[in-house]
Amino acid sequence: MKSLVNALNSNRFVLLLVLLLFLLIVPLIMKASWVSLVNEMLIMALAGCALNLMLGYTGMVSFGPAGLYAVGAYTTAILLTRYRFPFAIAMISAPILAGIIGGLVGWFCVRRSAVYFALLTLAFAQIIWTILFEWYGFTGGDNGIVSIPIPEFFFTISHCYYLTLIIVGISLLLLWTIVQSPFGKTLQAIRENPGRTEFIAIHLKRYQLAAFVLSSAFLGIAGSLFCVFSGSVFPDYAHWVKSTDMLVICLLGGFYNFGGPIVGSVVYILLSKMISKQTMFWMFFLGVIIVFLVLFMRNGIVGFLSEKLAPVLDKTSGSGPDEGTR
Amino acid sequence: MNLVTFEAIAGQTLSGISVGMVLFLIAAGLSIIFGTLKVLNLAHGSIYMLGGFLCYGFTSTFASVPGVFWWTLLAAPMIVGLVGGLIEIFLLRRIYAQEMLYQYILTFGLILIIGETCKFIWGVGYHTVGAPWPFNGKVSLWGLSFPVYNLFLIGCGFAVFIGLVALMRYTGLGRIIRAVTYHREMANALGINVPKVYTGVFMLGCWLGGLAGTLMPPMSVVALGSDMAVIIECFIIVVIGGLGSLPGAFIGAIILGLLTAFGIYIIPKLAVAFAFMLMIVILIIRPWGLMGKPE
Repeated sequence: MKSLVNALNSNRFVLLLVLLLFLLIVPLIMKASWVSLVNEMLIMALAGCALNLMLGYTGMVSFGPAGLYAVGAYTTAILLTRYRFPFAIAMISAPILAGIIGGLVGWFCVRRSAVYFALLTLAFAQIIWTILFEWYGFTGGDNGIVSIPIPEFFFTISHCYYLTLIIVGISLLLLWTIVQSPFGKTLQAIRENPGRTEFIAIHLKRYQLAAFVLSSAFLGIAGSLFCVFSGSVFPDYAHWVKSTDMLVICLLGGFYNFGGPIVGSVVYILLSKMISKQTMFWMFFLGVIIVFLVLFMRNGIVGFLSEKLAPVLDKTSGSGPDEGTR
Repeated sequence: MNLVTFEAIAGQTLSGISVGMVLFLIAAGLSIIFGTLKVLNLAHGSIYMLGGFLCYGFTSTFASVPGVFWWTLLAAPMIVGLVGGLIEIFLLRRIYAQEMLYQYILTFGLILIIGETCKFIWGVGYHTVGAPWPFNGKVSLWGLSFPVYNLFLIGCGFAVFIGLVALMRYTGLGRIIRAVTYHREMANALGINVPKVYTGVFMLGCWLGGLAGTLMPPMSVVALGSDMAVIIECFIIVVIGGLGSLPGAFIGAIILGLLTAFGIYIIPKLAVAFAFMLMIVILIIRPWGLMGKPE
């Protein structure tokens, strides 16, 4: 609560308010294509932040976030298409199922650390991908599921946009509360020094599993939103290339800031649209950007800015001296 | 009926092992690099693909040169190895001190760069390379016709495996590499030029990847996207066998090759999932792999 009061007094709050106002009027001032672009950014921002709960805050490198993202997307798609569930229930089921599957997968994964953890998450995500790809009777196989019966109300891009904005907003607020809570601080302690955290009687695996499940549930929300936004789902949502997209979004913005993945998602999607308009080899430039970031800007854009702008901005606006220093 | 089954089994076994041998070459490179440098090189599949494209590029450009494939087999892996050396010196060397995450992302960036470069030079189409002269026929085994080239691949795999084990176990260079792998600081203190060894090992790993890439085209096709497919298979292999273990990579490659060959034959849909499940089981009950040592 104290952090919220602090935040209220700072420049950061004003910035946030301006951003929110801007997001609210986006459909009024922009063309439909830009609205859907912003919509996509919001969804990827949520996915990135959900992944970052594990990655940046707990220090668990996951290669498989896309698997759980796809679980969310397919849950909504299948409940709507096959079982004609009400829209709201289909959407709420996505994070629940993603959380359950995240719990199952995570239960195995947290038994291992570092590279083995990463490879386990990768293997599970690839299994999810194989199931989605091969189970023609249920998931539509490699054709995916198209023309999902979304309520007609959300066919209008601005309506869909507001739905996304509200859900992403609430989810990000929840994530922010989580990382600021004692639970969130414990996760950061695990990242900084697992050994010492264990010495102060914290059950590492239980906390890591909790982070895994929470992250999965929010990834499920992001997947479900993308399903509503695009009206179709494909097995590629679960492919590990999609996972690395999310990792790159986190890197681009910065791992050790809450807002990192949000900035990362905006920049990533803008860049991909802009460069791919100019050249068919845009992935090459993405690769160069990634290599550049890893070599010279390891804290991402937000980390870089907060390092350079820290003396200029109000000192109280930083959410802690430890966050930009790594 | 019995005979048919036997033929089928023999055929699947041979093709499974020949694919497994190519995968072994790639996985061995990945494994050596991980063992010594502690870097999980995601771009290793791209290194393999680069070898494949160089093979196509050389054999199609100098098609009139007699025995062009064999010259390519000599040159292409070396070029790939040199590319690997450049990557190690200019990029990887700068992030050893950082967290593992950055290695993953950096090598992922390399996947994109190498993939797009190949696309830029050789285009998006499929390319084929004919099997080279003494091995371009078919041979009849147990009444079953089988490409000689596949047998050649199996021979190559065994030869490289024996060569690598001998290199690691019986030569001075192998001793140095093992010393650096075992204890980097101590090796450094004893006067071994560790950065040089790192570069050398990375080049050796890339050379192996390039060798596999050059050997593969006559049996399969050269195409974009093979980098992503192969790297996942290599992960499975090195996990089954044990990260950093050469015999492990060898056994893992044979297991995966056979699993895929028979899996496709029996239940095509779940062949891939089986491999991943095996990987998960191994990671959970024996994370150091079949042939590795617990840390």
